[in-house]
Amino acid sequence: MNDLTRRGFLGLAGAAGVAAGLAACAGSGSSPTSSAGGGGPIQFWSNHPGTSKDTETKIIEAFQKANPGFTVSLIDGGKNYEEVAQKFNAALAGGQLPDVIVASDVTWFNFALNKQLAPLDDLLAAAGLKTDDYVDALYNDYTFNGKHYALPFARSTPLFYYNKAIWSAAGLPDRGPATWAEFKEWAPKLAAVVGADKVPLQMADGSNYLDWYFQNMAWSMGGQLSKEWTATASDPKTVAAGTFLQELAKNKWVKFSKSPDAEFSAGIAACALQSTGTLGGITKNAKFDFGTAFLPGDGACPTGGAGVAIPAGLSDERKKNAVKFIEYLTNVESTVTFTQATGYMPVRKSALNNDAEKAFLEKNPRAKVAVQQLAKTRSQDNARVLVPGGGARIGKALDQIVQGQDVATVFAALDKETQAAIDSQIKPKL
Amino acid sequence: MSTHLQVSQGDRHRTPLMSVAGYAAMIVVVLVIAVPLFWILITSFKERQDIYVRPAQYWPSPATTDNYRDTVTSIPFPAYFRNSLIITALLAAAKITLGVLSAYALSLLRFPGRNLVFLVVIAALMVPNQITVISNYALIAQLGWRNTFQGIVIPLAGVAFGTFLMRNQFLSLPGEIIEAARLDGAGPMKLLWRVVMPMSWPTLVAFSLITVVNEWNEYLWPFLMSDNEKTAPLQVGLTLLQNNEGGNNWGPVMAGTVLTVLPILILFLFLQRQMIKGLTAGAVKS
Repeated sequence: MNDLTRRGFLGLAGAAGVAAGLAACAGSGSSPTSSAGGGGPIQFWSNHPGTSKDTETKIIEAFQKANPGFTVSLIDGGKNYEEVAQKFNAALAGGQLPDVIVASDVTWFNFALNKQLAPLDDLLAAAGLKTDDYVDALYNDYTFNGKHYALPFARSTPLFYYNKAIWSAAGLPDRGPATWAEFKEWAPKLAAVVGADKVPLQMADGSNYLDWYFQNMAWSMGGQLSKEWTATASDPKTVAAGTFLQELAKNKWVKFSKSPDAEFSAGIAACALQSTGTLGGITKNAKFDFGTAFLPGDGACPTGGAGVAIPAGLSDERKKNAVKFIEYLTNVESTVTFTQATGYMPVRKSALNNDAEKAFLEKNPRAKVAVQQLAKTRSQDNARVLVPGGGARIGKALDQIVQGQDVATVFAALDKETQAAIDSQIKPKL
Repeated sequence: MSTHLQVSQGDRHRTPLMSVAGYAAMIVVVLVIAVPLFWILITSFKERQDIYVRPAQYWPSPATTDNYRDTVTSIPFPAYFRNSLIITALLAAAKITLGVLSAYALSLLRFPGRNLVFLVVIAALMVPNQITVISNYALIAQLGWRNTFQGIVIPLAGVAFGTFLMRNQFLSLPGEIIEAARLDGAGPMKLLWRVVMPMSWPTLVAFSLITVVNEWNEYLWPFLMSDNEKTAPLQVGLTLLQNNEGGNNWGPVMAGTVLTVLPILILFLFLQRQMIKGLTAGAVKS
């Protein structure tokens, strides 16, 4: 390198410059300027869960009034959680990160695993904000390696919807089944009442979150899809739950479709398992009186829905502002406003002592059931929400079971796939 | 056009069985296409409680226009509509101009490396849009072009398909006419405008129509590029009407769909006439 001439040096520098320029043109990402610096409005990427754009705007206005000097711009992040994740992925590659994103129960973990989301514990502590008022199951859903990566925002659970007219015609008590075994006793009576062209129970199919609802069935019978990072679908109790589902299908007591709320609202199904987020829609669509109830099995109700998270690549200043905003977005007043407008669950324990919420629940007994069920929820199995492609994988296996394939074989194969994904994609990063 | 063909052929060898089968096939095809459209249309006029019922309602009763009012007022519909028009117009203009000019150069002008250039263009046709999305996003974001119309339009303006289609059309033109025009002293531009283009209207109209429909329905890229109704097209706006956890109110969604389809439908009816005129004119000439 000693004989490097001046001309040679200039030539090399020029070439390097051109190469750098080309690299920039090719859009190689990594533009530190876009993520540094403070100030500017807080960019909130949301898919407006439950068509909530107006409500979000209202909460943002209240936030700006309470915190002069802060501005939040609400940005259309897509039509569902997956599209927000897709848009965020593009931003991660290309710079111009948002300050806050909506992250669903299945999309947050992959970002956290790749260190693309900021752990919130220190940020919250530095801002002097407490988290013990969040509903525990909902807050702890976002734990990874002892840190929390999101705050619960638009959270839902499954709910049992039943058609009261059919219920009384079948001579059943005005409540949901306490256990799945009890439902099995009721099913023939319901089938006799509804006739051949209708169905006792409607559930979502494997590509529409049957895997979410199935966790309830598995848990209520003592099984589960995974224990920490070990796949356990081939556990005898989980297999028994799968066999139970298969039996219901074989007897034509359950049918599966893309959106069970449609069949239920049309009066084709006597009862259905659906998200609490659908309550508003079913109330407006159904022409008959219906009731809501806890899922069968005690304490076997999975949580779901979405939280709000902060990208890791932001400057400290922007993170500080963002955490202030997401705490406000999920405080008691905001969560009450938001959940009453959408049908999602209040994420704060003290929301139930809020006067507006008390009055609302008094007037809406169906929503009250959903809120009371919150105390009986349980965080979902890792195999479904944290393992990449988990939901789709389990959904596919359930579809196979419902079509009559051998449960033990299907679940053994499922376990193998799940475990392979855990070992190759997650274990190395733990 | 198609009826002419059928009649002239059918007169000669049509058996009753064949014609019945023909009509049956025609009816099936029409039903397959028309029933979903019909369902969208009537659903857009139904009241919410009448959408999910059994037996199904084949005619909205009572009919209501509330869904249309909801669609136009609950989302900034005019803004989205304006953006769609701007994006589609700019993109269609860019693609048609580039497609025609590049195809002309690659088919009728002689220059070294012509086939190589054509191969590169065709290779570009093989790369799916989705693959280039991330790098395009990075480039546009670093230029600071997110939320601008140029950010949406420029990355989409490349036209491998148009080049391919128009080049093949130009190559199929009779060489004698081109030759004669050249002998008469027509320069390259004059040759294009006076000789080549008039003989290529049907293909050009078909190409334009495909382009306009495609750009009108473009979703992924405009969605990634735009944050709100300042630049987002109608297709992105319509998703605001959907509820992501089921319980959709389909009335306004269907009303929005009808309003989105209408401009394209009108354009199609208008251009279809042009297309047929062009086709017959060409047939007579050759």
